Amino acid sequence: MANPGLRKVSIKENNSPYKWHIIRWSFVLLINFFFFASFYFDIQLLEGTLSGSRLFGFHLADPFAAIQTMFASKVFNTNLIIGAVTIGVFYLLFGGRSFCSWVCPFHFIAEMNDYLKKYLKNKNILQFKQHTFDRKLKYIIFFLFIALATLSGLTIFEIINPVSALSRAFVYGPGVVLIFVIGLLVFELLFSRRGWCRFFCPVGVSYILLGFISPLKIHWNNEKCSNCKDCQKVCMVPHVLTESVNKGKTTFVVSGECTRCGLCIDACDDGALKYKTKYLDKLI
Amino acid sequence: MSEKKTKTTGLPRRAFLKGSSYGILAGATLLSAAGAFTLKNKKPLLRPPGALKESTFLASCIKCGQCLQVCPPQVIELAGLDQGFGIGTPYITPSKGACILCSGLPCVLSCPTGALDHHISEGKEAHMGLAVISSPNTCLSIKGESDIPTRISRIENTQGHEKEIQLGYLLDSSLKKLDGQQKTLWLEKFKLSEFNKDSHLVISKTTLHQSQLWIWVKEFLLTSSLSKEACTICLSECPIKDEAPIVFKSKEASNTAAIPIIQKSCVGCGMCEMLCPTEKTSITIIPQAKWKES
Repeated sequence: MANPGLRKVSIKENNSPYKWHIIRWSFVLLINFFFFASFYFDIQLLEGTLSGSRLFGFHLADPFAAIQTMFASKVFNTNLIIGAVTIGVFYLLFGGRSFCSWVCPFHFIAEMNDYLKKYLKNKNILQFKQHTFDRKLKYIIFFLFIALATLSGLTIFEIINPVSALSRAFVYGPGVVLIFVIGLLVFELLFSRRGWCRFFCPVGVSYILLGFISPLKIHWNNEKCSNCKDCQKVCMVPHVLTESVNKGKTTFVVSGECTRCGLCIDACDDGALKYKTKYLDKLI
Repeated sequence: MSEKKTKTTGLPRRAFLKGSSYGILAGATLLSAAGAFTLKNKKPLLRPPGALKESTFLASCIKCGQCLQVCPPQVIELAGLDQGFGIGTPYITPSKGACILCSGLPCVLSCPTGALDHHISEGKEAHMGLAVISSPNTCLSIKGESDIPTRISRIENTQGHEKEIQLGYLLDSSLKKLDGQQKTLWLEKFKLSEFNKDSHLVISKTTLHQSQLWIWVKEFLLTSSLSKEACTICLSECPIKDEAPIVFKSKEASNTAAIPIIQKSCVGCGMCEMLCPTEKTSITIIPQAKWKES
């Protein structure tokens, strides 16, 4: 295990380089369509938005929004706790930050924005700056806005929350906060690749914390790996892969910041990366 | 674009980036906090029934819009920047569409955070606001005039959704008040029996206001006994009229005129404001206001 993968010749084992792209994008669109359709066609399937909803009448709530409202109002409502815990347990089982890549509408649009960025770069239309910020920033923002909510008694982040603003826009029509969302997309396009999701978004932080302990992880098979680093070129948070692929320390991508998007799996020609459940194989 | 090497600032690149990140962070925090407080003090909004005290409501509402989704008369909207701090929070504009305090209060049941408090189970327990006679000079009841002519002209001069609402209420309330021979005549004309009055609204919404029948209804109502009574629409259409939220105090000089006085049981649903037939409504809701002995 000490050696990183060093196979000399790359044998193409992965025949479907868009498999997880297609599955994941369909899933994002489907979930957000369910929110839209539940109201528009009145089918009562998944009512509400991403900050709070009911699935067949069962309450669900976004953990960060729930924490903010509870700390701001100092009221601990049973339905809200049930909703947030349900979501928490679900993402604890299914990959934590998988929320970001499999559900979040901002992530989806930012991903498309990133393709636009790549296209403009390849055509030499624009040269872009690639600012990076401190990754710890989002954790500070997370606790900062909880503190602000507690002190001010107002859910301050929820005014500008681009995730719920987009979700609301899909269900109830566009609102003013979309200006902020567009601003973020321009910022990502011109200054910092996927900047919001990687460095700032506190909504993702609650899912990151769950992602550290979630058993659903990306597994790295060092015998198949030719160490081409294609996976790190496509990854939004490439530092999560270096631990295993570059240093060979672990066979699982252990960081909670991994979004389980599957881009690395699709990019890997060697078939060295796969979704696996960490503790399940030991149990069996 | 390969001029990176010539960069000779004293500050190391990494330190600069770190500095800029925290700068952005501090700036964003200050801006959002300042923004929140400047937006906070705006005109109060009429919240759905069961809403907590405004400050707690703003803190509790998770902005999911589920109350809007389940609202049977579809009168709840989500606030934008115009309405101040509570972007995405629900409110009602009674002049456009009032809360009907429907049984079971589905909006309260749907609320995941308790911002609409589950402790109330009936419309009459709500405290949304308070009605006031904002323009006593135009009030038909104080003038002792009938509401029928004004309502008919309103129906003829408006369009779309508002027209249908007003027409529906005119037909419904007329039927309720008619008695004896006039009622029989009315039911015959609409080909209705005493037992299937419900189809009334169906007829009204689809075809009535374009048809011969409308001319008959106009004539009938203008010559009926209803045209001789003073307007009491704010009370007669009130969803909690059994609680007597409005009491009419007769003026001695005339026999039909009466002054409507708002009582403590008024919850501020806004039905009276929506249906008040005068051009500028004579009764308006003051959102979140509390009743005081006067």
